Amino acid sequence: MNNEKLLAGLDAGHINTKAVIMKGRDILGYATVPTACDAMSAARSALNDVLKSAGISGGELDGVVATGIFRDALAGPVLNVVASVPEYVADAKGAFFLNNKSRTVIDIGGNVHKAMSYDEKGNLLDVIQNDKCADGLGIFYTGIAKLLGISEDELSQLALKSTKRVSVAIQCALAAESEAIDLMCQGVDAADVADAITRYIVERVAAMSTYLPLTEEIVAAGGLARSQAVVNHLQRLIKHEVSVVSLPEYVGAIGAVVSHGGGK
Amino acid sequence: MSGNVSINKKMDWTKARVIAAGVDIGAATSKALILLDGQPYASSQVTTRPHGESAFDAMKGALEETGLKLENINCIVATGRGGAQATFAHKAVSEIACGAAGAVRIWGPSVRTVLDIGGQSCRVIHCTEKGRTTAFLWNDKCAAGIGRSMEAFGDLVGKGLAETAEIALRSDKFPKLSDFCAVYAQSEALDLVRSKMPVEELIAGYYHAVARRISTLVNRLGMKKDFVIIGGLARNPGITGLVEGILKVSRLAPDPEWDPALVPVLGAALYAEGFCKRQGSDT
Amino acid sequence: MEKKGRDAIIERFRHIAENTPEYVRSLKEKGRLSAGYMCTHVPEEILYAAGIVPLRILTSHESQAMTRGYIHETYCSFSHDCAYQGLKGDYDHLDLIVTSSSCIHMGEAFNVWVRFAGFQDKSYLMQYPHIIHTKPAGGFMAESFKQFKEFVEKLTKRSVTDNDLEEAIKVYNHNRRLLKRLWEFLRHDRPPITGPEVAAVTLASQVMDKKECNGMLEQLIERLEAEPGQAAPGVRLMVTGGACDDLGLFDLMEHLRYDTSIIFIDSCTAARYFWFEVPEGRHDKLEALAEGYIGKIPCPAKDTVPGTGEKKRFRFVQQFIEDFKPDGVIFLYQRFCSPQPMDVVALKPIVDKLGIPSTELELDTTVPKAQFQTQLEALVEIIKGVTP
Repeated sequence: MNNEKLLAGLDAGHINTKAVIMKGRDILGYATVPTACDAMSAARSALNDVLKSAGISGGELDGVVATGIFRDALAGPVLNVVASVPEYVADAKGAFFLNNKSRTVIDIGGNVHKAMSYDEKGNLLDVIQNDKCADGLGIFYTGIAKLLGISEDELSQLALKSTKRVSVAIQCALAAESEAIDLMCQGVDAADVADAITRYIVERVAAMSTYLPLTEEIVAAGGLARSQAVVNHLQRLIKHEVSVVSLPEYVGAIGAVVSHGGGK
Repeated sequence: MSGNVSINKKMDWTKARVIAAGVDIGAATSKALILLDGQPYASSQVTTRPHGESAFDAMKGALEETGLKLENINCIVATGRGGAQATFAHKAVSEIACGAAGAVRIWGPSVRTVLDIGGQSCRVIHCTEKGRTTAFLWNDKCAAGIGRSMEAFGDLVGKGLAETAEIALRSDKFPKLSDFCAVYAQSEALDLVRSKMPVEELIAGYYHAVARRISTLVNRLGMKKDFVIIGGLARNPGITGLVEGILKVSRLAPDPEWDPALVPVLGAALYAEGFCKRQGSDT
Repeated sequence: MEKKGRDAIIERFRHIAENTPEYVRSLKEKGRLSAGYMCTHVPEEILYAAGIVPLRILTSHESQAMTRGYIHETYCSFSHDCAYQGLKGDYDHLDLIVTSSSCIHMGEAFNVWVRFAGFQDKSYLMQYPHIIHTKPAGGFMAESFKQFKEFVEKLTKRSVTDNDLEEAIKVYNHNRRLLKRLWEFLRHDRPPITGPEVAAVTLASQVMDKKECNGMLEQLIERLEAEPGQAAPGVRLMVTGGACDDLGLFDLMEHLRYDTSIIFIDSCTAARYFWFEVPEGRHDKLEALAEGYIGKIPCPAKDTVPGTGEKKRFRFVQQFIEDFKPDGVIFLYQRFCSPQPMDVVALKPIVDKLGIPSTELELDTTVPKAQFQTQLEALVEIIKGVTP
């Protein structure tokens, strides 16, 4: 067992860069930093943070596996990146690793959302990503929380307390935000607004998911999967049970390691 | 209560004949302003929160330290998208009319076009020398939320608005991003990170796209001089500079005494004063 | 008591307009055949002559994104909503769905029903000339109507005689005249009915059996004529633009901080639906229908005079302005509709020249009420010349 590799997974996303450290099946640490339009700097500090959280020095690492939209920007010896994995493959592998009964993962990220189906070994079968008008669901969610002066977790809790159904525009995050503010200006209860914006997000995710054969079990990943309100509405709209993987934002980073022989 | 309060302590409200106030409940901030015989006395700005407390908060801010009470004010006019929540107001006037009235008061009777760029909406107003509105254009849906999306973009690149504005003004090299939609522009900018484009160029590209979008609205209603810019984004030199460049028109220089976000609430207070005076002359 | 009768009739109309699927089911229970149509360029008379009740597919105002997989993002919410109702099975009781080759957005909603909502064997796409202001358009339409009639005959296994057609034309013309009388009330200073009420009745007429509708309209008009009329109406607002079946929006227009009244709505869900007649007593009924439908106030999608680019609709709009004397104009259109907002570019200068202030409202499934209210109040303030 001692010859198991010590690998870091780096998922360089549009908004956040996520890092994990794994030895075999054990996840020793994880960390997130904002990408802030500089993938390399973000990767460096995410790596530092995750090493610290795992109590490991950089020299001990056998290597870094990169994934995410900006993975190419991390390539090379600077960060000891030994392999690079497309984010779809990493998501599928990561979701399968975290739940080996799952065959579909719906990943709701900061700027894009996507769904992937895979076989009984975690090999990618099919993938679909959102269309352009639906970009930025996570950024939108963060913005609404900021507007309400609460944390994203509190926003998720608030949505569950909704008693009256109101709706916002479904076209895009800008229109949805504009109408959320309009509702608040009309004096609509904040919990109902929170539910409306949650439904906006889930409507878009569910609409995208219809392009894919939804094979059970279905799991949700990405930061927004942490919202119980999101998951509730998603189950209702796609008419399937959905469970949330543990560490939903790290599914890509974990999958990157697993794709490179980790996780065994 | 977080907010910004400013009081002219040289003035004495007990000697005023007419005390008039405006309260503006906007999408992002709520403001209140008190006039003593037509002269600005106290103003306050707070972050808008749901449930209608913001109207009270803003008013309370302007009243604090002055000894004034709500019932001392002869007339209060509410404006802004959430204006209906200011239940203590006597009347309400739209922020379009208030924006024009406030602008003419600050910059004088030569103002004909007022561009109001707020957090949530962007409006172009034509007015007369008396501050009466003659026409206006509200942003189309695809141009909603410009102010707030600029803030969100600043968060994404990890920089404050002042810094991004400064970067936008000095970068002459920038990518051409979508000026149809801020969501598209944001996504396109993020995707360019992959090609390792310097963040300064991304910021400049984003600013130029937003400025083109705003300028289109002005051109649709038509530019009549003199031109002024009000609203929260009037404080952003990146946007105002680029808009002036695209429109090839210089705005009247901002008045250092006035926060451009307070222009509509000033207009509301002027309307309140007008109502008082007319009521006085009726009786 | 009289007052109560009037309100009850209007309420019944409004209920039908807002619960069309329920009305379709009630027709089915009576053993009637019914056909949905997606665009007002469908000659309903042909269906009616064959014993089929034509009903317009209107929106449900339900916010959803499910149809994004079937219709392009930047198609109007009206088409998305209509497609959605088909997919949901709200209209499974219909015997037929029809549209004409006019509005491309509604054409896609129609395609969704045909491909994905179980209407593949009960649908008809009618050809409609792209430009109606040309000589060949009439012949083209008569021929297209003939093919449609043959299709309907095959479907109902009965022949549609000239008498059937003449009878249907008369029922429909009668309906148009009654609706017109209703709208004429709004020209008066103290109308006995409000604009939003007239809008609700007009909308209901599009989803009803016309004979039943005519009966209710006659009762309503009789009561209204006996009424003295309401208080002075305030600022007179005219709406012009595209399809809008959101009755709540018209209510909003009359519930501002200032007194206002809607005095005319020029759209295909209001006046443009019925403001024409089909010539009666003609030898060739299909030619008569073609003539009638060409004479309609044109939809902007069809309205370009070849060579000059003139928009004939503008003449009607100007006439309505002259007759109904609005103080302000509201340009109302669906977001992502192309022909309607393009019309505004040319129509607004005409309205400006008449010295009438205007504003534009963009429609979506959901409506930003606070923003629309501000825009409308700002418009009224311009009209009233409000000065500090």
